[in-house]
Amino acid sequence: MNPQEMKPEREPWYRSKTFKRFRRNPLAIVGALLLLAFVLVAFMAPAITAPQLASIPAARPCLRDLGIKRSEVMDTLRNPLSPVFWKATLAPPESCYNIPRDGFSPLPKPPSEKHPMGVSGGGYDVMYGLVWGTRTAFYVGFLVVGITLSIGIVVGGLAGFIGGAVDNFIMRVTDVMLSFPRLVFVMIIAVIFGSGLTTVMLAMAVVGWAGYARFFRGDILRTKAQEFVDAARALGASPMRVFAKHVFPNAIGTLLILASMDVGSIVLAASGFSFLGLGAPVGYADWGQMISFARDYILGSAQGTPFDYWYVSVYPSLMLVLFGLAWNLLGDAVRDALDPKS
Amino acid sequence: MTTFIARGLLQLPVVLLALSLLIFGMMQFLTPEQRAATYVRTEQQAKNIDLIIRQYNLDKGFWAQYTTWLNQVLHGNLGYSKQSHEPVLTTIRKRLPVWTELAIFMFFPTLAFGIWMGTLAATHRDKLIDQFVRVFAIAGWSLPTFVLGIWLLAVLYGYFHCCGIGRADDKYLIEFAKGTLKTYTGMITIDGLLNGRPNVTFSGLKHLVMPVLTYMVVASAQIMRVLRSSMLDVLNSDYVRTARAKGLPERVVNLKHARHNAIIPIVTIAGLMFTFMLEGVFFIEIIFNIPGLGQWAVPAAIQLDFPAVIGIALLTGVIVSIANLVVDILYGIIDPRISFQ
Repeated sequence: MNPQEMKPEREPWYRSKTFKRFRRNPLAIVGALLLLAFVLVAFMAPAITAPQLASIPAARPCLRDLGIKRSEVMDTLRNPLSPVFWKATLAPPESCYNIPRDGFSPLPKPPSEKHPMGVSGGGYDVMYGLVWGTRTAFYVGFLVVGITLSIGIVVGGLAGFIGGAVDNFIMRVTDVMLSFPRLVFVMIIAVIFGSGLTTVMLAMAVVGWAGYARFFRGDILRTKAQEFVDAARALGASPMRVFAKHVFPNAIGTLLILASMDVGSIVLAASGFSFLGLGAPVGYADWGQMISFARDYILGSAQGTPFDYWYVSVYPSLMLVLFGLAWNLLGDAVRDALDPKS
Repeated sequence: MTTFIARGLLQLPVVLLALSLLIFGMMQFLTPEQRAATYVRTEQQAKNIDLIIRQYNLDKGFWAQYTTWLNQVLHGNLGYSKQSHEPVLTTIRKRLPVWTELAIFMFFPTLAFGIWMGTLAATHRDKLIDQFVRVFAIAGWSLPTFVLGIWLLAVLYGYFHCCGIGRADDKYLIEFAKGTLKTYTGMITIDGLLNGRPNVTFSGLKHLVMPVLTYMVVASAQIMRVLRSSMLDVLNSDYVRTARAKGLPERVVNLKHARHNAIIPIVTIAGLMFTFMLEGVFFIEIIFNIPGLGQWAVPAAIQLDFPAVIGIALLTGVIVSIANLVVDILYGIIDPRISFQ
């Protein structure tokens, strides 16, 4: 028989037991639906905020960079046939991420037709910040996880592949990195390179790889101990080939899935740093910053009326919590599906 | 066991040295003038920055700079903080007790609560309490510290006028400032007792309710989940069945036989929780207006007050290394097999 035909047929992932377990978990469905809603909001951000873009004069830089007039906003940004719609949706100019200020009044204004979720102190439209902040959230989450994961795979892979003293040394470093709080690292990097979204993301990536490296190393060692690796070695495969062809592909799957579930917690952490003032510049659409706008109004206008300005704090924190919840529900379901024992 | 602890203690200086090298290495991204600003106290000194650069070898090679810097650090000269207008070490010394008090009250009750609920969830599997713990764990883990802190602040303090923010009632803080209440340790709850004024301690505790509650909800989730699953593993093992078969009471089996073994992964989680707490304290200090390290260091970072941040980084390095050592020793105590290796 042709050796090509002897190859066992690979089961497609959507028919695997793991995926079936995942799919049957009602909480996973809730998480997935929530997440889908967030993706839609992020995608449709220009269309959703078109009324604000049209009515607030301070949104002019964004419109100028998009090349449209105020009178055209409603027709173009909600019309998928217009090229501006696609430009605004897929590659919006940076100026659109700045929340347009409607006046400079220090007092928040309650929800109205013009501002469906109210106005934060300083004239920042809450809904605009939240909707465009969804994009910032996804951007930060995926980018940080991506960079962190790459560093983690390289470091953990080296530790697992070389072993011995190198492994020992790398694991010591990992221990220290794991126990060093991210916030302090963000503060150091912010002081040296100046604070900003990029700095925060850089700091989180530099400090966050340790967990992945350790996990990946463990998986490599586990895979290395299996029979098919021995078989490959017995057949005369070089260590490099054994690693690249047999160990690496088999060890990396779980890590990739688990790491992708960390997007939620990364976003929560990053918004925490923004809340402290270490993240995005003032006025940039970012959930953490929206909550920090709310900080001065948390106790209301006078004693005993803490809920006077509820809209400045409730909407942003709700967004953040729901986002975290969506990822956690998904992550939990994934972990359960991968490890049915627990 | 003794050699085990001794080995850990010997490793400590090495780790600290490596950390200081790392932090100093990152400082190399700054210009010598910026680094010299560490030691500048007055306008006049700022004019003679070249002198300072020469005095601290900042124009020499890396190792000369590093040894000079390390020498200064070891002699307690961490530089001058523009944020607090005093030497970094003085500020740290002033604020460390406040921070420590908060950290102790945040860490240990949360740990105890997590272990307690985790045990309950495992022994009452699929009962009401288990479901509650499951929901609580997911909710707690999805809530960032600062969001929950703000909510509690609005509801408990703003609406119900309960608990209070800051460290203690103003009248007691004024007494501390005037000197009618003596400051022994800098921790309100302990100083109150040492002064023979339990009401001061009570006020301090009352003001700790919201910070501790915030942290407890957010951080205990992980402990509950891990303890629950490791406890369920252990409860199914043979020796637990044997213990039951011997006729031991359920309580003894659960707490002594099962939990003692199930708690080993908790040590790891507690170590991670400690790291998480170092971060959480800063948020909580800022939200609840507690004058600890975070309330000084975070604005310092925003104002690019670089000596303050490096001081905090070094302090964090020391705390973290000691905590790691403690975790290692705890492993040895809880699981004697480890220390014999």
